[in-house]
Amino acid sequence: MTLDLSPPEGQALFKRLAQTAHVIIETFPPGYLDSLGLGYEVLKQANPGLVLTSITGFGQTGPQAHFKSADLVAGALGGALHVTGEADDPPVTLAGSQAHMMASVTAAVSSMIALHHSAVTGEGQHVDISVEEVVVAATHICGVGKWLDDGIIPRRMGTGLFAAIPSGTYPCKDGLVYLIVNRPAHWKALAHWIHEVTGNEAVLDPLFDGPAANRAADRAFLDGCIADLTARFTVDEVYHEGQRRHIAVTPVHTAAAVADDPHLAARQYFVEVEHLGLGTLRYPGAPYRHAATPWRIARPAPRIGEHNEEIYCGELGLSAETFRALQESGII
Amino acid sequence: MKAFLDPMPQALHGLRVVEFTAGMAGPWIGRFMAYCGAEVVKVESKNHPDVTRVYVPPWAPEMGVQTQLSPWFTDWNAGKRLVALDLARPAAVELCKRLVAISDVVVENYSTGVMDKLGLGYAELQRVKSDLIMCSSSGYGDSGPYRGYVTWGPNIEALSGLATLSGFPERECTITQYAYPDPVSALHGLFAIMCALDYRRRTGQGQYISLSQYEATASVIGHFLMEYLANGREPARLGNRSRHAAPHGCYRCKGEDRWCAIAVFTDEEWKRFCGVVGEPEWITDPRFATLSARLANAAALDRLIEQWTSRRSDYEVMTALQEAGIAAGVVQNVEDQFRRDPQLAARHFFEEIEHAQKGTVVANGIPLGLTGTPGRTRGTGAAIGQDNDYVFGELLGMTPEEIQRCVEAGAIERP
Repeated sequence: MTLDLSPPEGQALFKRLAQTAHVIIETFPPGYLDSLGLGYEVLKQANPGLVLTSITGFGQTGPQAHFKSADLVAGALGGALHVTGEADDPPVTLAGSQAHMMASVTAAVSSMIALHHSAVTGEGQHVDISVEEVVVAATHICGVGKWLDDGIIPRRMGTGLFAAIPSGTYPCKDGLVYLIVNRPAHWKALAHWIHEVTGNEAVLDPLFDGPAANRAADRAFLDGCIADLTARFTVDEVYHEGQRRHIAVTPVHTAAAVADDPHLAARQYFVEVEHLGLGTLRYPGAPYRHAATPWRIARPAPRIGEHNEEIYCGELGLSAETFRALQESGII
Repeated sequence: MKAFLDPMPQALHGLRVVEFTAGMAGPWIGRFMAYCGAEVVKVESKNHPDVTRVYVPPWAPEMGVQTQLSPWFTDWNAGKRLVALDLARPAAVELCKRLVAISDVVVENYSTGVMDKLGLGYAELQRVKSDLIMCSSSGYGDSGPYRGYVTWGPNIEALSGLATLSGFPERECTITQYAYPDPVSALHGLFAIMCALDYRRRTGQGQYISLSQYEATASVIGHFLMEYLANGREPARLGNRSRHAAPHGCYRCKGEDRWCAIAVFTDEEWKRFCGVVGEPEWITDPRFATLSARLANAAALDRLIEQWTSRRSDYEVMTALQEAGIAAGVVQNVEDQFRRDPQLAARHFFEEIEHAQKGTVVANGIPLGLTGTPGRTRGTGAAIGQDNDYVFGELLGMTPEEIQRCVEAGAIERP
């Protein structure tokens, strides 16, 4: 739906919508709704149970609340970029606006928690999501707890995880696998496999057993031993034989490989959505499967203002005449 | 020890959660719920402690692996009640069921099928708590040919396509140092649980939720997958570039490994940018005058901008551009965030909490932004079984003698 919030008539309509809404989600700069007289304190008068969820780069308060943000900027300040990429490369961001993705999922979680509280107590609240904070929280593995303990500031180091040794991508005949050892038993299983296939005796040295720290000094050597194993097989061979041995090894998929993955097909992960004029498109489906209330896409993303009439006339009860007049004046 | 007393009502006050979890993808769900006032009981056993307990930074290797000192364990399990049970023993499984019978939610991220084998599958647990909500989180979900496969966060990054889509075009793929699928999966799991709680409140019915970490991570790059699904094209790897903004990247600044991210979207911003860097002639330079020209000449533009940034500190660059209303941010490391970020400091993002052995530790903020019910962290993750007496005595009403008998039978494990 569309609505011009600047004229008083638009603001009045917004207040009427807020009266029956459970949640309002907004991404205006901090203070913008307040400046229109539509801030949380005002809306709360009309609807005490309302949850107003605001998502901004840096939150509603603080000396940098007015800073301009972008996904790349949030990833930079939030600490994701500094630790992502090759050691000699500039910091690099993840594909697909992941700072904003995480912020939107966090905002959804927070809105649901606030709704729960509202349903129990009748009291709504203002939810203040800062994208920067979301990124700092999500990157905690290389965050403040670790650094204050060991004094080491994590930085970029390619595809191997600093805390898991060995770990990283390894080349096969026809592509890459990702392999990671995170438990002592997994190292033993991997060492035996390497020995079986390549005849390498060195990997069986008991000094390598135990936690990752015992293998830290020989990380590069062990990476070479693994590459010697994986290079003899295809990705599929390493994947399924490795998993048979309970080793956490997976292919490095392209988008095409995800779309064609037999596992996802068996789970019916992709769903079909009817698009007016376009036919049916395949969409990624639900990551969570609710047994009683299965997720579904009810309809594709609407066109701008597609539901104006449905909401203004149906929900708010405006007459057809008033609706038309508001359209003509450009408020709707 | 008595129940935690909250100075003000919290959003999830009154809910009880039992978790059988390890790593981050499972425990982070309970971490958020405990922060919001739920009572969260984590079940561990000495034979299978949470794997993060064995990750201790090597600040004192001569002390060996002390399972209370892991900064990951203490943070992701902060505010929870910790009990130790040997789940191989039927008496311990019975105690779990008694606990579930007085709880609302169960969260688990053991390997697929383990809970069933232990006799703690959803069907069993629903018998003792008819409106139970249970969320199982695993790499591949609870069905499909590879459902039992072993994965950790970085595996999922590779599997989901995110690794291949990310990074500079000349590189093969990019994997984060922070196991990105773990927080992604935890947040999706928590959202699914909150939806189920809403449904239970309205209908009285609980339900089982199965979460696939592979699918959760694929869903946050859904628009890229759509490009392949709809058009049959493999999406190009863009590095730090954008199709909608230029300049858009990380620019080298003065100092060792110091960078500032800059993103210029509109022509208005571009004009102001040229003013800040003192190159007003760029505004009319045909190579840079329009967005499409800047995109086509991005490499040349980046080199010129770096000549300006590399003579200045990263914070200087950020401040100068932000003052002109341009999105710019220092590529901060953890020390920058803790010591030099006035915004995080003003919002009290980092929380100091008590730790039994270290005195205090610093926890990351929980970024829910609930201004009416702000939440708080009630103590760090601590020893295995540290809250046995509270949980079995106060919550289940067992006498000290009963608890002692379970200890002697090997069902309850002492810290």
